[in-house]
Amino acid sequence: MNHASSTNLNLTLKIWRQAGPQQVGGLKTYEVEGISTDMSFLEMLDVLNQQLIAKGEEPVAFDHDCREGICGTCGVVINGQAHGPDRGTTTCQLHMRRFQNGDTIVIEPWLAKAFPIVRDLVVDRSAFDRIIQSGGYVSVNTGNAPEANTTLVPHHVQQDAMRAAACIGCGACVASCKNASAMLFVSAKVSHLASIPQGQSERSRRVLNMVATMDAEHFGNCTNTGECEAACPAKIELTNIAKLNREYMTALMYSKE
Amino acid sequence: MNAVAAARSDNVTDSSTQSRTGLIDRLGLGWFFRLLSSSIGQKFVMGVTGLLLCGFLVAHLAGNMLLFVGEKSFNEYAHALHAQWELLAIAEAGLLLLFLAHIYLAFATTIGNLKARTNTYTLRQTKVPGRIIGANSWMFISGSVVLGFVILHLIDLRFALRSGIDYLVESDPGAPFHNTVAVLSNPLSRVIYFVGVIVLGVHLSHGFSSAFQSVGFNHPKYTPMIKILGKIFAVVIAVGFASIVVFVPGMWK
Repeated sequence: MNHASSTNLNLTLKIWRQAGPQQVGGLKTYEVEGISTDMSFLEMLDVLNQQLIAKGEEPVAFDHDCREGICGTCGVVINGQAHGPDRGTTTCQLHMRRFQNGDTIVIEPWLAKAFPIVRDLVVDRSAFDRIIQSGGYVSVNTGNAPEANTTLVPHHVQQDAMRAAACIGCGACVASCKNASAMLFVSAKVSHLASIPQGQSERSRRVLNMVATMDAEHFGNCTNTGECEAACPAKIELTNIAKLNREYMTALMYSKE
Repeated sequence: MNAVAAARSDNVTDSSTQSRTGLIDRLGLGWFFRLLSSSIGQKFVMGVTGLLLCGFLVAHLAGNMLLFVGEKSFNEYAHALHAQWELLAIAEAGLLLLFLAHIYLAFATTIGNLKARTNTYTLRQTKVPGRIIGANSWMFISGSVVLGFVILHLIDLRFALRSGIDYLVESDPGAPFHNTVAVLSNPLSRVIYFVGVIVLGVHLSHGFSSAFQSVGFNHPKYTPMIKILGKIFAVVIAVGFASIVVFVPGMWK
């Protein structure tokens, strides 16, 4: 990569290494040289891993999949910020041009009781799956597709639902919250499905069950610091948490669930 | 007939709606139990009790401002208030309940938060533009300071039990003013009272606007206004009470 505008960086990396869930982990220091500013953050880690493999060392384990910011698989805490310094950006979409030659970069996994470390930078986020399983869906009849105009959704309602549905479930909200709260994640799904007609039949049960699962998975409470909103790569807004609170209280006080 | 109906009938045995056979269920208090035990219910009650306590602060500050008007006005006001002893007893019981609920939930949510992350990041940086570690990170600590101050304040002026203070008996026409100035004339209690009300302001600077979010009010239409109001409210309460601590003992000597 010898692009005209690109320069090469020499960096010091301090990376959390942990051999397994029960093992004691710690930060380990590595030097990487000649990192192109056109590289993504994960490509930089690929370069490091190639070096480690060549030396016969164990490469750094990290989660990644699409590498285009839409799957929600990647995510590490970079210099104390979930997904690094940019807003509305996943780790894979962070580029090395955001760093300076000679920088030291501290890379840690998401830390939360509900997200146990599997290895190095990989955490087990199946708690999110269990929250979704407890209510983050709609039950519909299968069979022929219904007539297109049976269920009308006004454009602005569809837009609101779509903005909430943008959550990719990466867990940056939990990682960045001082209380490791999953409110932003749960609120995104609850708001999304409460906004549209398809979500109405299970609306009350959904919010009660999802919050019960969230609590049972030992996520923390919301202190309204706004860190989750700032860290969210899908730009899920804090207003969704207020909506979650309304949905929950309405279900608690007025539904038969 | 369809999946929804099937899910509905299955739901009878669903753990979430399974009938409890205890006292809570026989009294139909399942919802209340959930309100006080779920994360969102807890923050809701926290917000409601907090806002009601803000109401008390306004009434208390308004009454105390009569200290600036004069000895006679303050004594008349205090005696008129105490003459309504039946209503006062109900109000005090209500306030005690609000305080106990707010304090219990502070412990419950803080313990839950500490359990949610047992290990800490080596490096931590905010992504919220312009955020400095503010009041919202110190709610439990500022609340604890305010609680300590409130307990001292009750000992000093509600129960008149502080040793070394020359109290007049409550029935004395001049007692309210005399006792207030007597307590505030002590330099140590002036410092403690001053710190107490300033920390109360810090607590309110996050608590007031945050309570609205917790009870579900957040909308681009009015949230910016609530946030500004929260800061103004915190400053008015802190400066209002602090002004009494600073000026009143010297004014009427």
